[in-house]
Amino acid sequence: MTGPAILLLLAGLGAIAWVSARARALRLQTVARATGRRDAVHSLPGYHGWYVALWTLIPAGLFLAVWANVSPGLVTQAVLADPAAQSLPLDAFSRSAVLGEARAIATGLQSGAFNPASQALVEPYSAALNTYGVAGAVLALILAFAGGAYAFTRVRPDFRARTRVERLVMATLLVASLLAIVTTLGIVASLLWESFRFFSMVNPIDFLFGLKWSPQSAAMGYGNDDAFGAVPLFWGTIFIGAIIAMIVAIPLGLMSAVYLTQYASSTVRKWMKPILEVLAGVPTVVYGYFAALTVAPALRDLAVSVGIHGASSESALAAGLVMGVMIIPFVSSMADDSIAAVPQSMRDGSLAMGATTSETITRVLIPAALPGVVGGVLLAVSRAIGETMIVVMAAGLAANMTANPFASVTTVTTQIVQLLTGDQEFDSAKTLAAFALGLVLFIVTLLLNIVALRVVKKYREAYE
Amino acid sequence: MTAQRLPTDWKSDAMRKRIARRYGAERRFKLAGLAAVALSAAFLAFLLFTMMGNGLRGFTRTEIALTVDFPASPLLLDPNAITDEALANANLPMVTGEVAKKALGGDADALLSPTAWISIRDAIKADPKILSRTETIRVPASTAIDLAAKSKGSPEAEAEVARLKQQGVLSTGINWNFLTASDGTDPTQVGIWGAFKGSLLTMLVTLLLSFPVGVATALYLEEYAPKAWWTDIIEVSINNLAAVPSIIFGLLGLSIFLNFLHLPRSAALIGGMTLALMTMPVIVIAGRNAIKAVPPSIRDAALGIGASPVQVVFQHVLPLALPGILTGTIIGMARALGETAPLLMIGMRAFIATPPGGITDPATVLPVQIFLWSDEVSKGFVEKTSAAIIVLLVFLLAMNGLAIYLRNKFETRW
Amino acid sequence: MTQEQTDLTIANPKMSARDVKVFYGPKQAIKGVSIDVDMDHVTAFIGPSGCGKSTFLRTLNRMNDTVASARVEGEITLDGENIYAPTMDVVQLRARVGMVFQKPNPFPKSIYENIAYGPRIHGLAAGKADMDVIVEKSLRRAGLWDEVKDRLNDSGTALSGGQQQRLCIGRAIAVEPEVILMDEPCSALDPIATAKIEELIHELRGRYGIVIVTHNMQQAARVSQRTAFFHLGELVEYGVTSDIFTNPRQERTKDYITGRYG
Repeated sequence: MTGPAILLLLAGLGAIAWVSARARALRLQTVARATGRRDAVHSLPGYHGWYVALWTLIPAGLFLAVWANVSPGLVTQAVLADPAAQSLPLDAFSRSAVLGEARAIATGLQSGAFNPASQALVEPYSAALNTYGVAGAVLALILAFAGGAYAFTRVRPDFRARTRVERLVMATLLVASLLAIVTTLGIVASLLWESFRFFSMVNPIDFLFGLKWSPQSAAMGYGNDDAFGAVPLFWGTIFIGAIIAMIVAIPLGLMSAVYLTQYASSTVRKWMKPILEVLAGVPTVVYGYFAALTVAPALRDLAVSVGIHGASSESALAAGLVMGVMIIPFVSSMADDSIAAVPQSMRDGSLAMGATTSETITRVLIPAALPGVVGGVLLAVSRAIGETMIVVMAAGLAANMTANPFASVTTVTTQIVQLLTGDQEFDSAKTLAAFALGLVLFIVTLLLNIVALRVVKKYREAYE
Repeated sequence: MTAQRLPTDWKSDAMRKRIARRYGAERRFKLAGLAAVALSAAFLAFLLFTMMGNGLRGFTRTEIALTVDFPASPLLLDPNAITDEALANANLPMVTGEVAKKALGGDADALLSPTAWISIRDAIKADPKILSRTETIRVPASTAIDLAAKSKGSPEAEAEVARLKQQGVLSTGINWNFLTASDGTDPTQVGIWGAFKGSLLTMLVTLLLSFPVGVATALYLEEYAPKAWWTDIIEVSINNLAAVPSIIFGLLGLSIFLNFLHLPRSAALIGGMTLALMTMPVIVIAGRNAIKAVPPSIRDAALGIGASPVQVVFQHVLPLALPGILTGTIIGMARALGETAPLLMIGMRAFIATPPGGITDPATVLPVQIFLWSDEVSKGFVEKTSAAIIVLLVFLLAMNGLAIYLRNKFETRW
Repeated sequence: MTQEQTDLTIANPKMSARDVKVFYGPKQAIKGVSIDVDMDHVTAFIGPSGCGKSTFLRTLNRMNDTVASARVEGEITLDGENIYAPTMDVVQLRARVGMVFQKPNPFPKSIYENIAYGPRIHGLAAGKADMDVIVEKSLRRAGLWDEVKDRLNDSGTALSGGQQQRLCIGRAIAVEPEVILMDEPCSALDPIATAKIEELIHELRGRYGIVIVTHNMQQAARVSQRTAFFHLGELVEYGVTSDIFTNPRQERTKDYITGRYG
């Protein structure tokens, strides 16, 4: 019996269980009411329906989930026990290839065999598949009936079906919210595990403080010793994300927020705010393409025309500028929130002293909002250094330690993409290095976020 | 006590000058703010303008009217037995080349797109009777000709275009192929349908996974969670997940889904699962805010007439919070739709020339397709990349517009 | 006009309002108010909430300019000069007509910087030493010097509510204003702090023209020499404080003072 069919059958059984249990509960309750035992009626009939339906579906469903994982092994065992399997090759690789082909033919994924050995196994394979398929289906149906019958016998007017069903709902909600923890653990575990393997090949000190990054040479067999110094990557990341991008984003974002909140008419604000937010909604791959196609060549031409040597078409400046623009709405909305949190009375107090609006902003509002603004900038930095596509497309691959914005630098995220794309064997230091870089990135962004949220929270509390 | 100060003489020249200076600073400051807003908006306008300028051309193609004298051509086809197999065996690409050489002269292979024969095939399929007469069929021009005809190409191509124009065979048509085809090797034959379908399948998986889990988490945290250390951990996890760089989710997907669970590589299923992990925190945070906005009086009212906590939440709180949750979900989905980096990590950057049939088939998505085309050397890909960007932006704008509309329509002030 | 003219006209008043009307959009908030303010008297504005007394106070140093929809008609003069004339500079005006708010609003800066803020933006101090002098004098006049002289670098927000309000008064004094407007300066304070502020108002009288808005009639009676009673945007009665409280001429004034409404 096929998977979809059995699922459909189960769903049908569940529906029948729901309808019949509901009907039974309704009848029993009507009787109970008629005999004056109103207090003995607990749950609405629908809850009884759900109670029985869930008892029908969940045990059978769980069994099928387990069965789907167990039965392939059982099938293989049965096939291997078949006399036809005596002729199988002994080495594990070709053995599994033959088995795989036989399975493909037996399940109809493949029409003919390339290897005569597999053709011989098709027959036992289909037989085993059929046996275990039927066995699974029968067991599932028995479970469904047993569960449903057990639950059905419990349907009485005073049975607390609602409580049971609600308990299950609560458990489901709880499990859903635990997924967030599982995901976090999954990230930490996978990064730590792969990084651990990397650091068993490369000394962590060399990785964190080494000045030379050339994983390609390591892959070509020159040894891992001084090929994985990540400092040039860290520098490139900071140079693009925390310096150039912030030089663009902080003044523009802050001044935009100041203008829109303090000066602009409500019409201008109504139109300009969403327009700025669109900047944040443009996918990063579009920014990357724009940086690589339009901004970078223009900057290189500019640099060449004013006589700057070593100008690269993959300059740090192009990536940083475009990234800065992407971050503007982020800084602007954080600044907006922080300035809005400064009580109006501060502004009135300053204006009433005869200060101009700009004096009020620069001497009272911004200093008062500073912790919030700083927290916002930290969040922006954390976003900028984790940004990938802009730097992959517009920054270079050369691991330079330079402060020349027209030169090419590379970043952590660029290298992660670089190391992990294409066909990889998963045990080389080269591919595992990507996870070590990912771990560093994860820790740094995490710390930045924690610090930033602390600062912002403290600041909010100060005015509440 | 110190000496008595004289009252300020506001009318003095020095004071007047000082005030004038302060007003100057005020004006400059205001102007700087205006400039910041204008600059940001101008950048956006410039970006969109550039993409439009390059991309709109991607939706059209240059066509060459090719006059085919079928009876005289070396084509061996029986008009009464036109089957797909017969057409496949007729060696149409070669025939097209020969016909073109005769009709257009010069290096005909350089004039026509490698896919030109498909137009002829489709014409025959549509009406087999044309095999017995001479027929003019519009076929796509090669990339070089296409570029030269639309804007600026190499000098040789420009000369060829001038020659073809004189023959009166050049025309511009809508490039339907761009909307219906998949990735390819030649810019004239590529389309976004494959990537678009990949995006749809991926988004479907993302939505089906992240929406129920996100809403359930938001409900649990906001309505039921006891104040305990482990609920704090859930909260911290969610807030951190919302801030983790997207590429880290890609590493997670690569390490857990591919290398540990051995799920199919490059598939929409894995892409959707990875993006779901990213989208879930967004939905949780938006959901919690929406649930928080439902006034306690409604819960009290329902509890007061004897509803159970689960009934209160599912019959009263959730329906009222739903518009807010949906808005957050759409915004999260829009972000996922534009996401590229994590999908590169899990191998969705393969060359996919046929649209995926299901969620386990190898697929690519629109942003990754954009990334792949942007890497292509051939100049013809520039307009295709920009055109794909326009399609992506249109979808994102539509989604965000829908979110804003929902927010405004259902925004309730309690 | 419902207001009773008394013999209160002052020759050459510091500030004078004539037939002032204030509109918020289409809504009229102040309906033709005329009043004089002078250095010799503390003037109190009383009336029920929403009667327009605070609105009128804010027209006197054009703080209503910060509300986009507000419009002022009529004439308000400071030393005979119309403060709503295009030639009048609002920055200067506010330096000359200071304001103290309902809730103490010291800036989140040190005590010293709070006082120095005004002189600094207006360029009134010739140097650090001069600024020290201004700060000390202003704090002394605000009656706060002895309490804070040892901790001038502490944050102004760390002071108690009453001290914060006196700091705000000191901050206003520091720019040598001619008139100080006080908008319910004691409503957020406890009785002891209130008493200190009232004492301070007594001491400042004569040096500055003082206008105080209060919803507390006892306070108006204690600190002011002139009282104006506002109701629904109208100036119902304006007179010598003792007259208003002992012998109100208008029925509405009497009702308010005896607690019939408000």
